[in-house]
Amino acid sequence: MADGDISDNEPTTRTLLRRVLDTEAPRTPRRRQSTRAGVQRTPLGTPFSMRLRSQTKTTAGRQPHRARSIGRLAHIQTRGQLKEQTPRTLLENILLTAPESSMVMPESAVKPVPAPQVVQVVQFSRRESSPGSLELQLPELNAPTTLAPGRLTSGRRKKRLRLSEFQQGMDQELPLSQGPVTEPPGNTGASSLSSSLNLTFATPLLPQSVQRPGLARRPPTRRAVDVGIFLQDLQDTSVATAFPGDRTPVATLPTDTVLEDTQPFSQPLIGRSPSVHHSLPYPSLSAERTVSRRTRSSGPGLQNNSPGKPAQLLAGKAEEVDALAMRFPNTSSGTSGVDGLEPLLGGVGEEVEERMEESMSLSEVKEATGAQASARAEEPEAHTEVAEAEGSWGAIEEKELEGSSGDKDTEGRTARPELASSTPEFPRARQLEFLEPAPPTSTAVGLFRQQVIPAPSLSSEPLEPLSARLPTRLQTAGPRLRQDPYKMGLSHYAKLFSFYAKMPMEKKALEMVEKCLDKYFQRLCDDLDVFAAHAGRKTVRLEDLELLMRRQGLVTDRVSLHVLVEQHLPLEYRQLLIPCAFSGNTVFPAQ
Amino acid sequence: MENDGKRSCLQPPHEVFWFLLQRLKAAVHYTVGCLCEEVASDKEVQLSRQTIAAISEVTFRQCESFAKDLEMFARHAKRSTINTEDVKLLARRSNSLLKYITEKSEEFNVERKTKKKKKLEDENKDSLEPAEAGGVGSEN
Repeated sequence: MADGDISDNEPTTRTLLRRVLDTEAPRTPRRRQSTRAGVQRTPLGTPFSMRLRSQTKTTAGRQPHRARSIGRLAHIQTRGQLKEQTPRTLLENILLTAPESSMVMPESAVKPVPAPQVVQVVQFSRRESSPGSLELQLPELNAPTTLAPGRLTSGRRKKRLRLSEFQQGMDQELPLSQGPVTEPPGNTGASSLSSSLNLTFATPLLPQSVQRPGLARRPPTRRAVDVGIFLQDLQDTSVATAFPGDRTPVATLPTDTVLEDTQPFSQPLIGRSPSVHHSLPYPSLSAERTVSRRTRSSGPGLQNNSPGKPAQLLAGKAEEVDALAMRFPNTSSGTSGVDGLEPLLGGVGEEVEERMEESMSLSEVKEATGAQASARAEEPEAHTEVAEAEGSWGAIEEKELEGSSGDKDTEGRTARPELASSTPEFPRARQLEFLEPAPPTSTAVGLFRQQVIPAPSLSSEPLEPLSARLPTRLQTAGPRLRQDPYKMGLSHYAKLFSFYAKMPMEKKALEMVEKCLDKYFQRLCDDLDVFAAHAGRKTVRLEDLELLMRRQGLVTDRVSLHVLVEQHLPLEYRQLLIPCAFSGNTVFPAQ
Repeated sequence: MENDGKRSCLQPPHEVFWFLLQRLKAAVHYTVGCLCEEVASDKEVQLSRQTIAAISEVTFRQCESFAKDLEMFARHAKRSTINTEDVKLLARRSNSLLKYITEKSEEFNVERKTKKKKKLEDENKDSLEPAEAGGVGSEN
């Protein structure tokens, strides 16, 4: 061939390889050059085989293959010397004799580095293939090898693995790892991801579909209960006013029991007043049970019990609420914080006791309506918690959004004058009612009505109908909403505080902590409200929260909100807040 | 001396800025000192120099913070001008201060309104003045 003749004048590796890689089969070996090529190659052939042997010796795991290949190669070499040693034949020989290797990706891609000789190139490629397979470098060769398709598929698998890694984090990456190839990249990804996604283990993965954005864990049956609870609560509140001094037997309970109630769902928020007089017949019973529960709960720990406690307390109550509590182990901690007793009321223990009584009675299915009321009352908490959970997971934002539910609680507190959990509490409750008539009611009610936090994706749906229903609910059953979940939440925070303090804490200290938390959340919600009003809006939005964080000094010119989100939130929440571009030119969440 | 050398090494705008900053701080310090002297004479309490220096430093930094906050508030309300609303938002923490500012702003608004009205009235007939005065009085 003319081309061959021309190029043969300068038999460089590059030209030879090019000829090899050309699809046209050089049927005619370059006989003119054969002798010269043969002369050139034969001395190199031996070092080639020698080097091959040396290289193969280095690879320990492939000794049998290598031995076979060496034998074969030697045979081929001898054969090759007989026939024309074209580059193609050389490469074919190599392909045939290459050992079965794993799917390890070669460190470098095909290396058509212009080595001076074809053999050297082959050696080089051979060297690279020693850890891997040679056919990785020559996929274009027509020489059919079983390994080539295998390698391609492994590459595809690897690509798929990486994509899944990015998309779904660690949880799917581990089961997908398939051998040595996938493990190294997977492990690096895992190590990098694990550091940032420690929390993802606790929470199940989000569905990636946009149709159900965010945490699709809302129990559907909630709304159906609300109306019944509301009506029942209306009756109950009217009845409850007739029994002011019923709480005397309850007052004897120790105050540390307040720490028990960590789950807002477990506490019948609105059904308190009905169960007040209903629970009277069973003070001893409930006292025993509550005491036992408290000892149980206070013993093991703090926040770890929060998922456990609702399970206990919600024995006979709305399972969806319980399920929600279980599903949000972390948010429940926040929600239970919301349920914390108001320290200002003083009789924290008694109130908790009553709530326990109520829960007990509810679990006994004697106060079905009370249970409904509590479930309903807890639902807004749960919803707010859901909003909180999806909106802010980190400690920073958790507090802020916690304040939203806390604000609801303030409203509830002011609006329940007659809810005397105990005789000592009752005059204090009255005092409270009078002490904070105007500002909390106005601000709290306004805030409560405004607290439809349009979370980027999640809880706008449940929040909106709730908010629509809640204003009407507040006027009658608001105080209970405020008191129980709010106090429970505060007490939960106090427990967290004592846990992280790693030291035993006095009850008074915990109460002070609760008081401070209360003031903090009050101010938080006030600020959010004012910021929203300043922008001429009635809805608190993300910008308001960012402004608040800026004022707090968490978001600075150096540290933006996105940085904080990335630092503190797990991936699922982060995806809700920071728009990520997915395949197909879709951005989620849509902005 | 080393500081002077560093300052001279700076580019002109930075150097000028730093110089002006120092002048501003000095002015604030002087004003704070005068106010502190007044308060000291009122309460018959002595104030040391370090105290006055500390107060002036805190005042200066707080003014910086206020300025940043005001700008943030104005931007939050999608405005490019700082308004009295922004100032009120800033002062909402302290009730007495907020009240004071609100009263002052109302007075200011009233004054502006009366001025505008007077200008209009001067252009219009004189018979409108008593009615406007009565209206202004009712507003007050």
